[in-house]
Amino acid sequence: MSKTKTTGTTHYEILFIVPNKFTDDEAKTVVGQVEKMLTDGGGKITGREYWGKKRLAYEIKHNAFGYYGLFEFDLEGANLAKIDSNLRLFANVLRHQIVVKKTKSEEDIARENKIRAKIDSKKAEADKKQEIKNKIPSTSTNVSKTKENKDSRVDLKDLDEKLEGILNADDLI
Amino acid sequence: MTNKKTKECYFCVNNLEVDYKDTRNLRRFVNFYMKILPSARTGVCAWHQRKLATAIKRARIMALLGATHK
Repeated sequence: MSKTKTTGTTHYEILFIVPNKFTDDEAKTVVGQVEKMLTDGGGKITGREYWGKKRLAYEIKHNAFGYYGLFEFDLEGANLAKIDSNLRLFANVLRHQIVVKKTKSEEDIARENKIRAKIDSKKAEADKKQEIKNKIPSTSTNVSKTKENKDSRVDLKDLDEKLEGILNADDLI
Repeated sequence: MTNKKTKECYFCVNNLEVDYKDTRNLRRFVNFYMKILPSARTGVCAWHQRKLATAIKRARIMALLGATHK
């Protein structure tokens, strides 16, 4: 396995911050400039996002706010270093980060769907179990109550019979 | 130990991917001092904990998450 990748394109994602000294419209032109740098470097842009003005978690070069831009692009790995160094020298971008983005293959999507189905079925099972649990205590009490009632009836019948037996007996008279 | 048994990996259970731009989700795995919480406390599985650590560090670089509290 060689460490350098020579052939084939990789899917990358770049997130960058445009400093607060620009207005929103100016920031958008800077985003356009970055896009041009990427395409000039041999990149093929597949997705773009503009988050607008956001507060930075900490100040960068006395900037408390920044405009965030994001591009997804395909590029040959060998061309990446040049784009990276160009962006580093580009004064209108405060900070940038290029990350390899994993592309989802059909297998991955199928696997994800399987997992999702599993999770859904598990949830459904759990719900069913809970329903049953909620039902059990009420039914069990009913059963015991009915049993008790039956027992008392039986006792009464027995008692009646015994009483009759006693009353009909000759000893009493 | 009893605590450990009951916890499940947040990303596995919800079928989520760890993303460094998703600061709302990353926040729950960072304490007040913005330190990455151990998996023993959060219940994240080892595979996702590794992804989570890199994601938090990437978010810090892009000033999406702080490295310290103010």
